Amino acid sequence: MNILETKRLYHDFNRLEVLFDVNLKVKEGERHAIIGPNGAGKTTLFNVITGTYEPSRGAVFFKGEEVTGSKPHHMVRLGMGRSFQITSTFSRLTAFQNIRMGVLSARGIRFNLFRKVDKMEDITKETDEILERINLYGERDVPASALSYGKHRSLEISMALATNPDVVMLDEPTAGMSKDETRYAIELIRRLTEGKTAVIIEHDMDVVFSLADRITVLHLGEILASGPPDQIRENQAVKNAYLGETEG
Amino acid sequence: MMNRTIKGIVWGVMLLVLVLYPWLFGIYYTNVFVIFAIFALYAISYNLLLGFTGLFSFGHAMFFGAGAYATALALTHIEGCPLLVALLFGFLGSVCLALLLAPIVARLAHSAFAMLHLAFSMLMYTLALKLRGITGGEDGIGGFPIPPFRIPGVVSVDMTDPLNFYYFAIAVLGGSLWIAWFLTKTPFGQIIVSVRDNDKRVDYMGFKVPQTKTVIYALSCGFAGVAGSMYAMFQNLISAAALGIGNSFAPIVMTMVGGVTSFFGPIWGAAIFAIIEELTSRYTERVLLVNGLVLIIVVLFFPGGFMHLVGIIKGKWLGFIRAQWFAKRSRKKATEDDS
Repeated sequence: MNILETKRLYHDFNRLEVLFDVNLKVKEGERHAIIGPNGAGKTTLFNVITGTYEPSRGAVFFKGEEVTGSKPHHMVRLGMGRSFQITSTFSRLTAFQNIRMGVLSARGIRFNLFRKVDKMEDITKETDEILERINLYGERDVPASALSYGKHRSLEISMALATNPDVVMLDEPTAGMSKDETRYAIELIRRLTEGKTAVIIEHDMDVVFSLADRITVLHLGEILASGPPDQIRENQAVKNAYLGETEG
Repeated sequence: MMNRTIKGIVWGVMLLVLVLYPWLFGIYYTNVFVIFAIFALYAISYNLLLGFTGLFSFGHAMFFGAGAYATALALTHIEGCPLLVALLFGFLGSVCLALLLAPIVARLAHSAFAMLHLAFSMLMYTLALKLRGITGGEDGIGGFPIPPFRIPGVVSVDMTDPLNFYYFAIAVLGGSLWIAWFLTKTPFGQIIVSVRDNDKRVDYMGFKVPQTKTVIYALSCGFAGVAGSMYAMFQNLISAAALGIGNSFAPIVMTMVGGVTSFFGPIWGAAIFAIIEELTSRYTERVLLVNGLVLIIVVLFFPGGFMHLVGIIKGKWLGFIRAQWFAKRSRKKATEDDS
């Protein structure tokens, strides 16, 4: 079953077509990578799916329901988490508080004005568990803005996962990381998305081919090919448009 | 555990000082203290927006004024209006005004939010001047009866006695401060500081941003209304000046000087300005000149405000003590090693 699907999706910025007839199909439980050269429309596709923009035409289906144009908070409540290419945490809040926002959201605690959040022990426990799992427990009380780049990125990714989504959309999770940090982050993603559906935008081909179950190649706003890694590797159109450039 | 005991003692002493204050300092300074407490709550209510939610407003006075006028009008026109009902009118008057504006302002932030509030508060100021039949224009509303604090069959306390009013004011303002403080500690308090840091991400964490802003906005304005209501009852007079631009900037300046990042900062700001006013007015009428100089000095040299300064001093002092202790210990260790 396709947990996430877009049908004939178009999007334009002031008539500049960025997405052109995109039919993306993501199966439940798979890690689905979206690759494509710069300007292919990968992040725009994410923005349209997660509710940043309303598409100019076409429809988005999530868990069998049409969700076209739903606001981000609505998508999160339906079970879709998202992380950003440009780190977007709560800078003055500690790592702990950042993750806790996700935990609170997952439990539907929003307008509670009658209990101290620090006294909610189950919330604290769950948040601490997440911090340990992502190896940030040592930086529990450090403000997000004071974390090292790699750790800050880990926090960014984990915030999306803390809302306990069924589908997690990761926009270039390894952006700007060193080789070592990337390897570590990939292991982290592999571990944290176990049993979940993940849609990942990624540039590093080694990462893509080792992590993804299926790959969709986007080029100039169109889907060029979609399939398992081996099939994509052999696809001539993909080679010409994309892999050819990077592998010379 | 130790910390808790010390905290308990500190709070106990503070409470005792508050209770004994009129006897310690006399009735004149008691009245000065009531005004300070009113402005402390007003500044705190403002900081719920600025420091906690990141919303900068140039028109908070209209909520102070709405509370004050609502209470004054209730006491003037409703025969035998009880004290607490008049206070409730003040609170609800401001909350209603806030909820009226919320659909427009809750989707805004930054300068648009600030300037729109300036515009609305100027509108309110003009209305208060022009609608003479209701507001009394420049003269305002005054001389309304201040009802006693009465629990039927139990107690009836005369509120025209400044001493009794002092205790009433301390209870109301202290209670409001506690509620506001508690608010910042709840899950909702976490969401508002997240809105301050990154409202876009709050949306992506599954929370509704405009609704969150509306709730904190209404509550903040409600507290400003309580401050205004107490002000009206204390002065037994409210005029359009309370809605003026000067009164909109008072909490901004107090918050800046006291410290925007801390909950208690604005209280210190209010205290600093109360003291400055008390001291300078003995020598000159140009209190604003001194206020302005203080603001300039703070902005230039301690942008974090008074609380930040305290933090630095505390850090240095603690660091000094710790260094002494370590030095002592290593010396002791050295002599032990020698023997």
